[in-house]
Amino acid sequence: MADNNLYCVSALFDTPDKIINAARKTTEAGYKKFDVNTPYPVHGMDKAMGMGQSKIGYITLFFGLSGAVFIFLFMWWTFASNYNIVVGGKPFLSAPAFIPITFETTVLFAAISTFVGMIAVFFKLPHNSHPLHDTEYMKAVSGDKFGLVIEADDEQFERNKVTEFLKSLGAFQVADVYLPEKETYKLFTSGFVIFLIILAIVTSAATYITLNKLMYVVPFSWMEVQPKLNAQEESDIFTDGKGMRPPVDGTVARGELPYPFYGQTNPPEVLSNPTVPTKKILELGKRKFLTFCSPCHGNFAQGESRLNGQFPTGPTLVSGKIINYPDGMIYHIITNGQNVMPSYMHQINREERWAIVDYVRVLQRAQNPSQSDIQEVKKESSSNVTK
Amino acid sequence: MSVDYSKEIPLVQGRLTMAELDEAIAKPMSIRPGKIYFIALAFTSGLLLLGVLGVSLTFYFGIGEWGNNQPVAWGWGITNFVFWVGIAHAGTLISAILYLLRQKWRTGISRFAEAMTIFAVMCAGIFPIIHTGRPWLAGYLLPYPNSHHLWPNFISPLVWDVFAVSTYLIVSAIFWYVGLIPDFATLRDRAVSKIKKFVYSLFSLGWRHSNRHWRHYEKVYMILAGLATPLVLSVHTVVSFDFAVAVLPGWHSTIFPPYFVAGAIFSGFAMVVTALVFMRKVLGLENVITIDHLDRMNKIILLTGSMVGYAYLMEFFISWYSGVPTEQYVAINRAFGEYAWGYWIMVTCNSLFPQLFWFRKFRRSIPAMFIVVVLVNVGMWFERFIIIASSLHRDFLPSSWGYFTPTWVDFSILLGSFGLFFTLVLLFSRTLPVVTMSEIKGVVEGAHPTHHGGDHDG
Amino acid sequence: MSPNDSGYIKKDLPDNIFKAGSLLLVVGLVLGISGFLVDSYRASFAYLVSFIFFLSIVVGSLFLVALEYAANADWSTPFRRVSEFLAAGLPLLLIFAIPLMFNTGSLFQWSHADYIHSDKMLEAKSAYLNTPFFMIRVFAIIIIWILFYTFIIRNSRKQDESGNQLLTKRNIILSVIFIPVFAITVTLVAVDWIMSLESKWFSTIFGVYLFAGVALSALAALTLVSIKLKEKGFLHPAIKEDHYYSLGTLMFAFTAFWGYIAFSQYMLIWYGNLPEETFWFMQRWEGGWKIISILLIVTHFIVPFFYLLSYESKTNPKKLKFISIWILCVHFLDLYWLIMPSMSKNDHAYSLNWIDFVFPLVFIGVILMVFQKVSEKINLVPVGDPKLKRGLDFHL
Repeated sequence: MADNNLYCVSALFDTPDKIINAARKTTEAGYKKFDVNTPYPVHGMDKAMGMGQSKIGYITLFFGLSGAVFIFLFMWWTFASNYNIVVGGKPFLSAPAFIPITFETTVLFAAISTFVGMIAVFFKLPHNSHPLHDTEYMKAVSGDKFGLVIEADDEQFERNKVTEFLKSLGAFQVADVYLPEKETYKLFTSGFVIFLIILAIVTSAATYITLNKLMYVVPFSWMEVQPKLNAQEESDIFTDGKGMRPPVDGTVARGELPYPFYGQTNPPEVLSNPTVPTKKILELGKRKFLTFCSPCHGNFAQGESRLNGQFPTGPTLVSGKIINYPDGMIYHIITNGQNVMPSYMHQINREERWAIVDYVRVLQRAQNPSQSDIQEVKKESSSNVTK
Repeated sequence: MSVDYSKEIPLVQGRLTMAELDEAIAKPMSIRPGKIYFIALAFTSGLLLLGVLGVSLTFYFGIGEWGNNQPVAWGWGITNFVFWVGIAHAGTLISAILYLLRQKWRTGISRFAEAMTIFAVMCAGIFPIIHTGRPWLAGYLLPYPNSHHLWPNFISPLVWDVFAVSTYLIVSAIFWYVGLIPDFATLRDRAVSKIKKFVYSLFSLGWRHSNRHWRHYEKVYMILAGLATPLVLSVHTVVSFDFAVAVLPGWHSTIFPPYFVAGAIFSGFAMVVTALVFMRKVLGLENVITIDHLDRMNKIILLTGSMVGYAYLMEFFISWYSGVPTEQYVAINRAFGEYAWGYWIMVTCNSLFPQLFWFRKFRRSIPAMFIVVVLVNVGMWFERFIIIASSLHRDFLPSSWGYFTPTWVDFSILLGSFGLFFTLVLLFSRTLPVVTMSEIKGVVEGAHPTHHGGDHDG
Repeated sequence: MSPNDSGYIKKDLPDNIFKAGSLLLVVGLVLGISGFLVDSYRASFAYLVSFIFFLSIVVGSLFLVALEYAANADWSTPFRRVSEFLAAGLPLLLIFAIPLMFNTGSLFQWSHADYIHSDKMLEAKSAYLNTPFFMIRVFAIIIIWILFYTFIIRNSRKQDESGNQLLTKRNIILSVIFIPVFAITVTLVAVDWIMSLESKWFSTIFGVYLFAGVALSALAALTLVSIKLKEKGFLHPAIKEDHYYSLGTLMFAFTAFWGYIAFSQYMLIWYGNLPEETFWFMQRWEGGWKIISILLIVTHFIVPFFYLLSYESKTNPKKLKFISIWILCVHFLDLYWLIMPSMSKNDHAYSLNWIDFVFPLVFIGVILMVFQKVSEKINLVPVGDPKLKRGLDFHL
C-alpha cells in the first residue's frame, strides 16, 4: 500500500511502567499527534502526555445553572402569573417548595449535557470507522496491553524514524496502521424501499388502531360509560323507562307552595305582589325574563322576538291592556299559561315569577314615560354630565 | 484472625491477571446457561406474569380490586413504591458515593448494583402510576402546555416525586451506560460472532481506549458521581417529603429526610447482598466479588441499620418530648395498637438482627448474612407499610378510623414486582458484563506505574 | 515498618503559640467576667454559644479520629495527630460546664417551676426537663467522652513506640463503639443545650443538624491547623495536594450536608405550618434576626459550596486556609443564630453587644495552649501507625 494511506505507526507495551515512560519520551521528543491506548486509565498518564485538567466541568456548570434558572422561572411563571391558584394556603411564589424541583432539574440538565458534551463534542463519537478498529493493536489494548500510536499527520513524522523510536522505547510489537479504503453504499436499494413501505403501513395502522380503537376499550373509555340519568332521555334504571322523574304524589318540594288557582281563567283579587322592586329583585327579574320570556315576547317585551315566524308571535306586553292588568294577573298568566303559552310554574319559582312581573312593569314604564319621568331622566343625565 | 493494617486488602483474589479477569467476566455471556438458570428464570417470569394479571385486573375493573380504603388510601401501592425506590439507592451509593470516597472495593460490585438500581426504579415507577387508577392519564404530571391550560401543582410533593424519580432513572441510566462504553469496546474486540460484534460496536460508539478520551472520561465519571450523590439523597428525601409535609402525626417529622435516605441505603444494600450471594457463585466470580466485599457491605448495612434505629428512637423520644397529645397517641398506637404486629416485625428485622454484624463471624458467613439480609428486606418493607397504614388508620377524627386488609390482587402485584426485578437481574447477568472490566483491571496489583521505583510520579 | 523510618523528624512547636494562647485566655477571661458583671443574663447566653463552639471542635475532632479508625481510612493517618491534639481540650469541658450550671435559671425557662406548671404540655415533659436530671446528663455525657478520649488516644500514643498492630485493632473496636455513643450524646447535647432553650419547640432532626455543624467545624479546624503546620514544616514532608484535596472534598460534602439538613428542617416546618413549630423560625425572621438568617444561608451554604466546587480551591493551601477560617466563623454564627434569639423573649429586635464576642477568645486561647503543651512530648505524626505509609503514598 502507498504511504499516503498510512494512518499511524502503532507500538504495544506490556507494563504500565513502560507505557508511561514511552509517553513521556514521546512528548519530550516533540511529537504532537500521538495517542496512548490503555484498557483502563493509567495513573499519571495525563501528566506524561503533557495534558492538563479536563475542561468538561464548565459544560456541567453552565447547563446545570441554566437548568436551575430555567425551571425556577418557569415555575414562577406558571404559578405566579399564568395560572394563579392558591394551594394549601401557600403564596404563589413558594420558594422553599420550588427548591426540590429546581434541584432535580439542575442535576438532570447537568448530567445530560455532560454526557452529550463528552460523547459528541469532546470525543466525536460514534466513530466506528476509525482506522484503528479491527486491528490487532486494538484487540491488544482492549485486553491487557498498552499501546502508543504516532499519527502520520504529525509534523515530525518520518516512518522509519518513528518505527525505530518506538522500538527503542521497549515496544514488543510495532506495526503500521493504514486508513481503510473508502466504501460507498447505495441508499435506495429495493430491500430498503420495501422496508420503508412496510414501516409506513405498520406505523399508520398502529396509530389508527391506538387512537380510534384502543383508546375506547373499557379501561380507557374516559368515563364515557356511566350509570346515570340524562334529562330528556330514556333510562333502564326505572321500569317505566323514563329518565326524568315526576314528583311523588302528594308531596311538596322545599321552597315551593301549591298554586291553588291553577286552571282558572280569572285571577283572584287576593293575589298581591309580595316583592318590593329593589335593584336586586329587578336584576333577578331581568335575568329570568331574558331567559324564559324574551324568546317569544322580545327583549323589550314588544312582541318582536327572535323566534318571529317560526312560532306563534308572542303579544306585546307594553300595550295599555297589559299595563292595566293588576300584578296578580300577569303572575297568574306566567304560572298558569294562556292560549298557546304553557305554564312556567315548574321552571320558574315563585319569587322569580314575581320578580319578572316587577321587571315587566319597568319595561312598560320605560316605553310609556310620563312627563315627570322624562324630566327626572333629563335631570339625572345633566347632573351626570356636570360630574 | 489478625489483619495486617499496613497493607490494603487485595481487591481481587487468586492473583488473577487482566486477561484472566476479562475471560472470567465475559464467560457468562458466551456460554449457554445451565438448567438452574432456566428454572430460576421460569420462576421469576412466572411471578412476573402473576403481576401482569393483577395489574390487568386493576386496569379493567379499577382500583377497587385493591384493599385500599378510606382512610388508608395509600395502601400497598405506595408502600411498594417507597420500598422499591429504597432498593434503588444502593447502586448509586456504591458507584457514586463510594467512588467519591475512593473506596476501590466498589469496582467489583458497582456494575451489578447500578443495574439493580435501574431495575428497582423501574419497579418503583409502576406503583404510583397504577395507584392513580387511570394510568393512561399520567402524562398530565409533566409540565407541557396542554389543551386544558393546566400546569402541574409544582408545590405538591407528589409532583416532586415525578421529577425526582424520572431524573434519577435518567441519570442512573447515563451513569451506567458511561461505565459500559469501554466494556462494550472490550467485548467488541473479543467477539467472534458477527452479530455480537455488530451489537457491541453499536453500543461501544467506536470507543478506542484512547488516553485523550480517558482523561475526559474520568472527569465526567467524577462529575456524574458528584451529581448522582446529592441526587440519590434527594430522591428519597423527596419521597419522605410526601409524608412529612403533611400535618398527620406520625408523618410530620423533620427527621424523615435523613431517616428515609439511611433506610433506603440499608434496604438497597440488603437487596444487593441477597443477589450477590447467589450471583458470585453462579457466575463463578468468587475471586472478583470476594467475601471481603460482602464483609464491607455488611458493615454498611450495620451502620445504616443503626441510623434507622436512631431515627426510631428519636421519633419516639420527640413524640413524647413534644407534649402534643396526638403525637403521643400515634407513637403509642404504632407500638401497641392494631398494627403492633407489623411494628415489632419492623423493629426486630431492622434494628435487632443487623446487630449480629458487629461480629466478624456473622459478617463473613454466607448463610448467616443471607438470613439477615432477607430479614432486613422484610423489615424495610414493613417499615414503609407501618408508616403508611398505622399513621393513616387513626386519623384525627375517630369517625374515619379504619383498618387496611390487602386483597389477593395486592399480593399478586407485589410478587409481580419481585418477578420483574429478578427477571431483569437474571437477563442482565447473561447479557452484560456484571463487573466493570475497565475498572477491575485498574485495581489489580501492578496495574499502575510504580511511584517510588522510577523517576516519575503520578 | 518500624516506627522510626517514616521520614518524619520531630520539631518542637514555637513557644509563642502557648504565649499567644495564654494572652487570649487572660484577655478573654477579664472581658468575660466583666461581661457577667455588666449583664449576667446576656453573658450566660453568649457564654453558651462559645461553649458549644468549643465543644464542637473538641468532640468533633475526637469523632474524626474515631471515624478514621472505624472506616479504616489511610489517607488521613498522617494528620490524625492534629485532630487528636485538637481534641485534647476535651477534659476541660468539665470545668467549662460549671459556669453554665450556675446560670440554668437565666438560660432555661423550664428550670422555673411556676413556668412549667403554667402549661400542660410543659408539665408532661418535666420528667426530662428538670435541673437535677439535666445536670446528671451533662456530666455523664462529658465523662463518657473523656473515657473514650483517654483510651483511644492512649492506644494511639503507645503505638508510636511499639508500632504494635494490636493497638490499631483495639482502637477500631473502641471507635466503632464510640460512634453510636457519639450520635446519641450529640443529640442529647443538641436537645438539652439548644432545643430546650425554647421549652415548647421540638424537631426530630435537630441532633443531626448539630452533628453536621460539629463535624464541619472539626474538619475546618483540622484543615486549618494541618496546613499551617505543614507550611512551617512540622508535619510529614510527604503530605501533598491529594491530601488537601480530600480534606477539601470532605468540607465540601459536609457543607452540602449541613445545607441539606437545614433545608429539610426548615421546609418541613414551613410546609406543615403548625404554630407549635413555626414560632421558632418566626423568632428568627423578625427584627434584626431576619438579616442574620439570610446571612447564615449565604455564608454557611452558598459561599463555601461554590467556593469549594472547583478542583483548584480544594488543592490550593492558601484558599483552603481561608475557607477553613470562614467555616469556623460561620459555625459560630450558626450557633449564635440557634441560641441568641431565645435570649430576647418578648421583643425580637436584634442588638449587637460586645459581650457576645469575648468568650471565643477564652476558648481559642485554651485550644492553642493545650495544643502546644501536648505537642511538647508527643509526635505530630503517628509514626508507629501501620497505615502511615499507605497514607503518605496516597494518591487520587
